[in-house]
Amino acid sequence: MENSPALEKTSINVVQRKLGSTKKTRRYQTAVVYVILILFSLAFIIPFLWLVSGSLKSSSELFTNPGIPKVFHWQNYTQAFSEFPFFLYLKNTLFITSMNIIGSVISCTLIAYGFSRIEWKGRDAVFVLVLVTMLLPFQVTMIPLFMLFQKLGWIGTFLPLTVTPFFGNPFFIFLLRQFFISIPKELSEAAKLDGASEFRIYWNVILPLSKPVIMTVIIFAFLASWGDFIGPLVFLNDNSLYTLSLGIQQIMSVNDPRWPLLLAVGVSMTLPVLIIFFVLQKYFIQGIALSGIKE
Amino acid sequence: MKKAFSLLLMMLLVVSLFLTGCSGNKASNGASGGGGKNFTYWYPWGGDSEKWDKWRMAEFEKDNKGYKIKATYVPPDGGISNGKLLASITGGNPPDVVISNEYATAYSLAVQGALTPLDDLLKKNKFDDSGVLESFKPLMKYKDKTYLFPQDSNVNLLYYNVKMFKEAGLDPDNPPKTIEELDAAAEKLTKVNNNKIDRLGFIPWLDAGDESYLWGWVFGANFYDPEKNKVELNDPKLQAAYKWMDTYAVKYNPEKIKTFTSGFGGAFSPDHPFFTGKVAMTLNGNWFANAIKIYSPNTEYRVAPIPTPEGGREKATTLGTNVFMIPKGAKNPDAAMKFILAGVQPKVLADNINTWRSISIFKEPSDAIKWDKENDQVYQVVREVSSSPGAGHPALTSVSKEMSNELKLLRDSVIYNHKDPAPLLKAAEDKLQKQADKTK
Amino acid sequence: MLAKRRNLLNGLLFISPWVIGFLVFTTYPLLSSLYYSLTEYNAISEPIFVGLQNYKELLFQDDLFIKGLSNTLYMVFVGLTITTVTTIFIAVLLNYKHIKGMSFFRVIFFLPTLVPLVILSILWIWILQPDSGVVNSFLGLFGIEGPGWFSSPTWAKPAFILMAIWGSGGMIIIYLAGLQGISDSLYEAARIDGANSFQQFFHITLPMLKPVILYNVITGIIGVFQAFAEAFIITQGGPDGSTTFYSLYLYQNAFQYSKMGYASAMAWILLVIALIIMFALFKLSKKWGYNG
Repeated sequence: MENSPALEKTSINVVQRKLGSTKKTRRYQTAVVYVILILFSLAFIIPFLWLVSGSLKSSSELFTNPGIPKVFHWQNYTQAFSEFPFFLYLKNTLFITSMNIIGSVISCTLIAYGFSRIEWKGRDAVFVLVLVTMLLPFQVTMIPLFMLFQKLGWIGTFLPLTVTPFFGNPFFIFLLRQFFISIPKELSEAAKLDGASEFRIYWNVILPLSKPVIMTVIIFAFLASWGDFIGPLVFLNDNSLYTLSLGIQQIMSVNDPRWPLLLAVGVSMTLPVLIIFFVLQKYFIQGIALSGIKE
Repeated sequence: MKKAFSLLLMMLLVVSLFLTGCSGNKASNGASGGGGKNFTYWYPWGGDSEKWDKWRMAEFEKDNKGYKIKATYVPPDGGISNGKLLASITGGNPPDVVISNEYATAYSLAVQGALTPLDDLLKKNKFDDSGVLESFKPLMKYKDKTYLFPQDSNVNLLYYNVKMFKEAGLDPDNPPKTIEELDAAAEKLTKVNNNKIDRLGFIPWLDAGDESYLWGWVFGANFYDPEKNKVELNDPKLQAAYKWMDTYAVKYNPEKIKTFTSGFGGAFSPDHPFFTGKVAMTLNGNWFANAIKIYSPNTEYRVAPIPTPEGGREKATTLGTNVFMIPKGAKNPDAAMKFILAGVQPKVLADNINTWRSISIFKEPSDAIKWDKENDQVYQVVREVSSSPGAGHPALTSVSKEMSNELKLLRDSVIYNHKDPAPLLKAAEDKLQKQADKTK
Repeated sequence: MLAKRRNLLNGLLFISPWVIGFLVFTTYPLLSSLYYSLTEYNAISEPIFVGLQNYKELLFQDDLFIKGLSNTLYMVFVGLTITTVTTIFIAVLLNYKHIKGMSFFRVIFFLPTLVPLVILSILWIWILQPDSGVVNSFLGLFGIEGPGWFSSPTWAKPAFILMAIWGSGGMIIIYLAGLQGISDSLYEAARIDGANSFQQFFHITLPMLKPVILYNVITGIIGVFQAFAEAFIITQGGPDGSTTFYSLYLYQNAFQYSKMGYASAMAWILLVIALIIMFALFKLSKKWGYNG
């Protein structure tokens, strides 16, 4: 691209002719861009606000008044917490989520280390396999996994959801590997000269340097298992093991869903994610931006 | 190197410890040890039904000293239509007894061999089935063996708004009995102004009318012949049912109807279209009377048997039966059977019926039923319909769930695209027959 | 030599959790589902080998399978195209140099992705409520009668596309990062050369963004193939089968009808389709001159 002859052909005439009008055009352009951006932002933010406002409406107001609630029905929240086993589901969700985070961080950092900091024959070929598994839709392995867990007697327990993260997640391995590769080799070499083992280097050199990307992995693992629906749906039976997502869907499917209560649970379930987002914003954005950039 | 090994070992140790820890948990979660007086029970309902069932369980434990029920709420239907029960059976850890509101799917489990036959257990407990209403007997048995035990049932009725009937010049004492009369009444009750629907007299596929088997059954279709293991969808009566529904779709655009009736208004909310006056007549179960009492006490309504076309079933209804079953491999079938039979004891049954207005599976009405038998119009119609030969359980086959979904899709094709139902029914029949042939 | 061996051992040791996971949770399931796809299996009785019968039935006799497949492909080709164009458009605007508060806008576009799927579905049922929902109420202000959305066979899929766009903040951020990686000097040179904004976009921005687009499109395709919760919760596949997506029909076959063999065949067909689309994309991007 840089060598494109068209770009090299700079013509001073054109530049001079253009200079006069540029400022005006720019101001005009900027205004247009702002207007479009604000319109789009409204479209993105309004459903969000509606979720909150809906959770404060009475059942009948919910579908007569599309706007702001006339009276704030805070009791939707107290009802959500008392009539819906919110805290039980929350506890289950938290358990599964933390197992996912712990499992992913332990296994993926080790695996990524093996794929980036040690030179071994066939490494990159094997890594391609990791990337390929990233492309597998869950549905492809869902049924045999279900049957495998069924044979193990794991259906109806947390195990299918909490054990698998300990065996690595291709996307996290990819993210971590990209980061580990960028750490200068010399650091490892120096440690090696001091007689450090690979594990020691991993633990004392690489991990401390990788806090931001580990943070990103934690965030992604949290987001993925916090809102996961199909996993709990397929693998759990007992209502007392349900996660928030599954629990909400179940009360929705009954004959008399109570919408304001559902929306209140919805807000309560989204809120922790929002708080974490605002606290750790830069890791979110960095992590996501990082994932799209090719090596 | 050594460190790495030890770390890995540790990791595996943690994981395996964790696994065993959880499996330990699970063992107590399942049937805790064979025999004895402990058993596990799966039920499909939350809300008020759950409260009622908990009362029932407590009664059982009170009456049968030493018995302990480990009850689990498994929505949406006791885990039978989403593979949960099957998984627990093949995983070697099934519950001892399950109750489900999806009798057809439960029946298909019996056909697939996933359930324990109940005959010996029933004999041991000296249960006599001569008192059971005839309409429940086919449901209980597959190939001469009993697999399902009905607890209670529900019938579908035509609910109509008395005030609207009077306004439209119709006689509320004389509700429509035939499909023609229903159509005529619907026409009179409908209010459309400038292409905008204000009120619809009747929508065939609203509420219970949405159920896959109801209208076909009313029109006289059988769906399936258990004797010959033959799927019977390519039936002129079934075609007629869908063609009739399409007349409503042609008259009022079904998308518009759906827009018009959509809302959050389930039957247990004040915004059900029958309560808000958006529809004047609708089909629903006997429990709907209770919903009206709670959410729209000012709606003056009456009920009637579902209108019938010529050649159809009179006073017809599909029965919404709740059934007990004992999965294959259950560890404590004796206790399970004790619990099942306790559920149809007069005391428990009567309370069930008084609360939910459901119907008994027995011929003799229990004395404990406290309904106002003389003056309760709903009660009279419920009795009339439930004892009619038109009350039944269609599609007792291994493919009932799939058939139900196929029929719903087919209905949508007819009402949205005005497709001819005949070739669609033929295609569905072929597809399902192939499936049914696979079960011997 | 010794060092090489030691490295190999060490390397394998470190990746061993992945190796175990790959064998137990990926390879074994894939192979066993290949086997099950050749059987009749209801999860209770022993599987019966039936050869290619499941595949034949799926491809030539099952209308619903074809419908599910075309619904999903519609979401890939129409839905994902619309989402991609929209997100690139927003990202380009955000990258416009004279805009202040870019990070503020970025947060706003990202927020919806934080709403869990189930909540998202509940929210959109309500927003797209034909009678009283926000969108149709808004359209009503301009005298437009909004469509039935999820209750209309024609509008249900577009409704899902709208939902997808709303939740595409991650894509916007990735595009934005890609855009920020394009050197200013390129635009400078183009401007001096007299290229207008559109020419700049098509001759610089788009070609430079290609690898990022490829990444987003691939993850987007996987996302569409996996999309399940929304349809399961909102429409259950209706009306008129218009939202019976591939993954939903697969779930129904496996868990509602206990047709494990049949569903396994569906899984393998899905795998093959996914691989074909990925392969075509890589080829295409090579042809377009992407050499990353």
